[in-house]
Amino acid sequence: MASLTLDKVRKAYGPVEVLKEINIAIEDGEFLVLVGPSGCGKSTLLNLIAGLEGSSGGEIRIGDRVINDVHPKDRNIAMVFQSYALYPNMTVRKNITFGLEIRGVSNEDRDKAVADVAKLLQIEPLLDRKPSQLSGGQRQRVAMGRALVRDPDIFLFDEPLSNLDAKLRVDMRTEIKKLHQRLGSTIVYVTHDQIEAMTLASRIAVMKDGILQQFDTPQNIYERPNNIFVAGFIGSPSMNFINATLINDNGRLAVSIKRDNDPIVLPLKDAPESYQAYIGKDVVFGIRPEGLTHKRTGSDAPDSQYVNFDCKVEVIEPTGADTMTVVEIGGKEIVARVRPDRAPHPGEVMTFSADMSQISLFDPATELRI
Amino acid sequence: MADIQHYSHDTGWKNTILRGLLYLVLTLFAIYYLFPLFVMISTSLKSLSEIREGSLISLPRVITFDAWTYAWNEACVGVECSGIKIYFWNSVKMAVPAVLISTFLGAINGYALTKWRFKGANIVFALLLFGCFIPFQVVLLPMSMVLGKLGLASSTSGLVLVHVVYGLCFTTLFFRNYYVSIPDELVKAATIDGAGFFTIFWRIILPISTPIIVVSVIWQFTQIWNDFLFGASFASGDNAPMTVALNNIVNTTTGVKQYNVDMATALLTGLPTLLVYVLAGKYFVRGLTAGSVKG
Ligand SMILES: Nc1ncnc2c1ncn2[C@@H]1O[C@H](COP(=O)(O)OP(=O)(O)OP(=O)(O)O)[C@@H](O)[C@H]1O
Ligand SMILES: [Mg+2]
Repeated sequence: MASLTLDKVRKAYGPVEVLKEINIAIEDGEFLVLVGPSGCGKSTLLNLIAGLEGSSGGEIRIGDRVINDVHPKDRNIAMVFQSYALYPNMTVRKNITFGLEIRGVSNEDRDKAVADVAKLLQIEPLLDRKPSQLSGGQRQRVAMGRALVRDPDIFLFDEPLSNLDAKLRVDMRTEIKKLHQRLGSTIVYVTHDQIEAMTLASRIAVMKDGILQQFDTPQNIYERPNNIFVAGFIGSPSMNFINATLINDNGRLAVSIKRDNDPIVLPLKDAPESYQAYIGKDVVFGIRPEGLTHKRTGSDAPDSQYVNFDCKVEVIEPTGADTMTVVEIGGKEIVARVRPDRAPHPGEVMTFSADMSQISLFDPATELRI
Repeated sequence: MADIQHYSHDTGWKNTILRGLLYLVLTLFAIYYLFPLFVMISTSLKSLSEIREGSLISLPRVITFDAWTYAWNEACVGVECSGIKIYFWNSVKMAVPAVLISTFLGAINGYALTKWRFKGANIVFALLLFGCFIPFQVVLLPMSMVLGKLGLASSTSGLVLVHVVYGLCFTTLFFRNYYVSIPDELVKAATIDGAGFFTIFWRIILPISTPIIVVSVIWQFTQIWNDFLFGASFASGDNAPMTVALNNIVNTTTGVKQYNVDMATALLTGLPTLLVYVLAGKYFVRGLTAGSVKG
């Protein structure tokens, strides 16, 4: 086990820059999730860490060791691939021990290692089967077994769950989390599923077009996204973005949202100093669906974090636990999360309550957090 | 399924006619192709006197294998009268190593071209592909010069070399196209497991290449065994392959034309490739389509 540091890591294929100055550092035992849309360079970054591709610049360190020029087999890493990449001609047992065999581990030690791993992953009955005789979930386990048996410094996972059906995916997610808690190993995990990222990570790196957008704990990324992209990417349903103006409303900062008849004015709570420069200017007001609800108790108090406003309901989408209520504000469809027993009917005018302690403001030009 | 059956009930008679027509055409084609074979076999089993009396298509009255044993043991190739058998072994000594070597090299080439994409891999592949389209006749002269320089002129080893070089383009193409459909992640996983170029090739890639190996072996064996031009150009006399010997036997102008011996010799020459097709033909078809089906 070891820490991992990426220092200004770059990767270019000819003139195409695929990764631009990635800086990431995680401690020993951390669970780092790389997340981002397809083609943003997640797999490439993982391949750089694994040594399957050479970097075009920067430094990669495991512990204190610079590994840029170290061969993959000597980096003491193990990798689980999206397609699992099990050797089709070998039994599960052989698949798991192949790496040990190549490294000259003795027969007895190999047998013992396989037994341990098989027990941990509950694949003992499968050991003498070929990969073609396994289900998707079982293959996934074997792929994990092949990585675990080596007891590496760092585990690398490239979308290991994306080939599984929804239910199995959730189960395996929990198992991976348990495994991490039990082994305490350092893990780098690639996914484009933001829920996987939130549930597994100790820290998340959000990427887009080869640029690291934000690198932080899941909670911080959720609550204080660096920019509109991160805010929209993390969380489901995603954050509402409303064009608004920052105004000084009787000594208090507030966002004012244009409407046909009368604007909605939402006073901010604990506005940071950085907002001052934007008074009178356009901003993008971001609020998550759970920040917009039916009217809450105590929301009429003047210094409450909740602010009320009325709005006409367009559509409702019940999900069971909550009812997603779509309203139109500032020409955009906005989703609010309402308790089912308080759910309105479409066409009704309802009083909503905005939780102003959980909002984000973004600069409309740079799309960065203010 | 149920729908289709229902549909065929409605238009049953129409289908039957179409089907009948189809079988008729197929049968005609089959006869067209099988008839010469039938004539060859039946002629080879007749005695010379019977051939002279009977018609071409009549079945032999008395089946005799004399022509076959004569062809194998006594037929005259040029002035040498010890049958086709030494030339059969010449062909074996040429075809087996040439097939194995060209298949093996093709496999390594295909593996290197797809899984270890070095700079210029595409150009190398394009050039190899180009080799497939060079007609035999074009390389005859330069090839004979090279063989002369190497001291391999008129030898079986020389023929093996020629066939390996010429077959390499095809085998490389086969293996490359097959390996393209094998995920790169397999090689990456093995690399992380600590395996190198050849370990990965032997332990992982080759064991899953059976279908394409069968294709390559059949293709190469047929090409090399049936080749006449290279055999006639680069191996003479005692080293000639069977096809060349067959030609010499059949084209002998002296003495009586022994049709039964000619037919038996021709059949003996064609038998090995026929056998390979019968034994492995179904893998051949399967292997040719394997890459595309796997996706
Ligand atoms: N060998 C290559 N040559 C040129 N460009 C490449 C090469 N490999 C990858 N790329 C480009 O690099 C970018 C990042 O690819 P990468 O595979 O890392 O994406 P990803 O984030 O893993 O996407 P996904 O979620 O779809 O797996 C893509 O735009 C891709 O087209
Ligand atoms: Mg990827």
